[in-house]
Amino acid sequence: MLSIRAEPRTFNSLTVPDTTSEVVASLLQATLIRLNRATDDIEPWLAESWTRSDDGLRYTLKLRPNVAFSDGQPLTASDVTFSLEAAYAVRSVADTLEIDGKRLRAEASDPLTVTITFPAFFAPGLRMLDRLRVLPRHKLEEALRNGTIEKALSLSTPPSEIVGLGPFVLRDYMPGQRIVFARNPHYWRRDANGGQLPYVDRVVVDIIPDDNTQLLRLASGQSDLTASEVPAEAYATIKRAADAKTVQLYDLGVGFDANALWFNLKPGSMASDPRAAWLQRDELRRAISMAVDRQLFADTVFLGAGLPVFGPITPANKRWYWSETPQTPHDPAAARKLLASIGLADRDGDGILEDTAGRKAQFTLLTQKGRSSVERGVAVIRDELKKVGLVVDVAPLDSGAVIQRIQSSKYDAVYFNPTWTDTDPASSADFWLSSGSFHFWNMAQKTPATEWERQIDELMVRQMHSTDDQERKRLFDSVQKIFAEHVPVVYFVAPHIFAAASTRVQNVTPAVKGPQLFWSPDTVAVAR
Amino acid sequence: MLAYFARRALFAIFLVFAVSSASLLLARLAPGDYVTESMGLGARGGTVQDARARLGLDRSIGAQYRDWLVRAAHFDFGRSMQYDRPVIDLIPERAENTAILAVSALAVATLLGLPLGVVTGSRKSGAVVGLIRSASLVLISLPPLLTSLFLVFLAAKTGLLPVGGMTSSGGGHLLSHMIVPVAALALPLVAMFERLQSQAMSEIAGQPFVIATLGRGVPLSRVIWRDALKNALRPIASVYGLVIGTLLSGSFAVEAITAWPGLGYLMLNALRARDVYLVTGCAAAGSIFLAAGTLLSDAALALVDPRTGHRSQG
Repeated sequence: MLSIRAEPRTFNSLTVPDTTSEVVASLLQATLIRLNRATDDIEPWLAESWTRSDDGLRYTLKLRPNVAFSDGQPLTASDVTFSLEAAYAVRSVADTLEIDGKRLRAEASDPLTVTITFPAFFAPGLRMLDRLRVLPRHKLEEALRNGTIEKALSLSTPPSEIVGLGPFVLRDYMPGQRIVFARNPHYWRRDANGGQLPYVDRVVVDIIPDDNTQLLRLASGQSDLTASEVPAEAYATIKRAADAKTVQLYDLGVGFDANALWFNLKPGSMASDPRAAWLQRDELRRAISMAVDRQLFADTVFLGAGLPVFGPITPANKRWYWSETPQTPHDPAAARKLLASIGLADRDGDGILEDTAGRKAQFTLLTQKGRSSVERGVAVIRDELKKVGLVVDVAPLDSGAVIQRIQSSKYDAVYFNPTWTDTDPASSADFWLSSGSFHFWNMAQKTPATEWERQIDELMVRQMHSTDDQERKRLFDSVQKIFAEHVPVVYFVAPHIFAAASTRVQNVTPAVKGPQLFWSPDTVAVAR
Repeated sequence: MLAYFARRALFAIFLVFAVSSASLLLARLAPGDYVTESMGLGARGGTVQDARARLGLDRSIGAQYRDWLVRAAHFDFGRSMQYDRPVIDLIPERAENTAILAVSALAVATLLGLPLGVVTGSRKSGAVVGLIRSASLVLISLPPLLTSLFLVFLAAKTGLLPVGGMTSSGGGHLLSHMIVPVAALALPLVAMFERLQSQAMSEIAGQPFVIATLGRGVPLSRVIWRDALKNALRPIASVYGLVIGTLLSGSFAVEAITAWPGLGYLMLNALRARDVYLVTGCAAAGSIFLAAGTLLSDAALALVDPRTGHRSQG
């Protein structure tokens, strides 16, 4: 029995992937390859093997024989080509399956062989297909031809109409209450001893909107797992339950994602605002990085369970973290000096810095309301910056409102929780490239606004298209070095990740990235 | 009396229209929308524009409101963006769940609050009276949010009751699931009814007709529970409908904490997702309940005090 915070928005794995819909998709559908969340490697899934052409552009994948959808229809290469076609019919999904704005091509050469051709060499290769679920052509072709594929498999679709290759089938959906899944009788996977998977006959996903209630249910034995990690403030409760042997507590180490602070660096967006002279300067962000005591931040925001970080890639990303990332010391005096170098000084002795025209050094920090770690983090930042004379007005908004302000470049600064979808930096090109939509401090630039962004663009393009892994690492280290010098985004602390399950749950493979204990649902077992 | 109720009914229609219009306009005017909320940071500009056009969010607020009004006149309240279902289908199933809670909480509050109020209002002092008054003061000052958190914690600690949800996956058990949310909603109401009834009773107890009845040798208990109680019901009757309306329009906090799939929780989700038509539908449903509650309140008041309708006309 799994507790989850929000209802799914759809049973269609092609539409916007919220956390619940992702969990549902992992139960109902399967992919050609699987990204193992514990090892961070790709592994054969519906495709049992593959070869790559010498130029690295073409992958020939062999599908497993005798695999059938949950309605008994056999899986063929035609379903794979259909799935890619369906994905490209949904623009938000299509965006994630393009390389340099061009699409992949899939051809079925025989019923069990499919060739996928990339428009250009792309270093992560088949990792890109980790979220491409293979859909049944026989069920959905008409919807694709009618242009209604995005609306297919909605929450009102009868369970029997939802056909997939995942370990479970949908048995019942009670709006606002629960989703019940039953074992897929045609599931293709067996364990190392030849035993039929999945191990459990039924998965019940209870929709419990309140985090505290979720954890209380877990601690009292009324649920077995939660889809999200244990928040810092609930650690003590779960630790007590673990000491009492009612739950198992997993310490998964530092997380991949740290909340981030950045300023609006879009040139011209603050044209009539005289504060642009200092708000958009590198020195301001470097001073902020020095002014905030990261250990205090970790202790206050994550109750000690956090690691100071100095860039977007945390040590959790073992393959791509640059171990020589400069560690900015906590040094308020040096921060004040840096601020003085951009004309910010306490001119009237009131403890608040002023610019050269005597205006207060003051800015508005937008943040997302309703997330306790973000709210505590922004309070620490405000208090720490006050000590060096910067006045921060905190404006908590709904996440949608914050995103709209970011997308329209109508803000001074933002403290938010951007998250990575993959560990490979080439898969996050939208963050690193100045033209990217996730390059949030100055999005979708036509030409790089600064020299250092141009350098990062150049390095990242080489990094994405290099065939040599060592060369890729070296190039990405250089990217992180430039990023650390100019600090377009200030990172403070990455939280420690804990996950919990009831003592009945067996055979989980914990992973730092969520859902930490349920990313491989077919091998999870429950003691009777 | 008929004209009075006709006027109240007209006012109720206006209330529903005003609340739903205001909620649509406010939900639409607030920064951000369903597309920014669901696609998150990093969605490409063209993709965002396409999604807005598909959902009709690229039209002017005036055009959207006009379109909604025309459709609402035909009882089509639009389609929920997050559930991709007609709003008119989503509301009744959740309203029914909320009604189960509301009616139960009201019944508990009435059955406990009224007699306790009679007891404390008809006696000047005593240990029982002191205890009831103190408990009422504590309960009335506790917001349902805290009460429900405490009760959920208690349920988890004792293991006697299910923590959250409306049913268990094994089926059945509705009654055991109801205890925590009903108690969270009912306890402050018990206290409120007790306080109102107590005050009214103590005022009525000194009235000449009560003293005269006692003087005629009618037993005290009969005077209190039959004559005085009927006359002291006015304050309760005047708030009863409003309480019903408020309960039926959904309690966000209690439903969210106890994972009760009611109207309040649906509206909370709709607000979070910026699902404009669903927010409007939930607000309209809430205002219908509130209007019906107000009408009921007026009717109850007229029943215990027939002068009400005539006074309003004058």
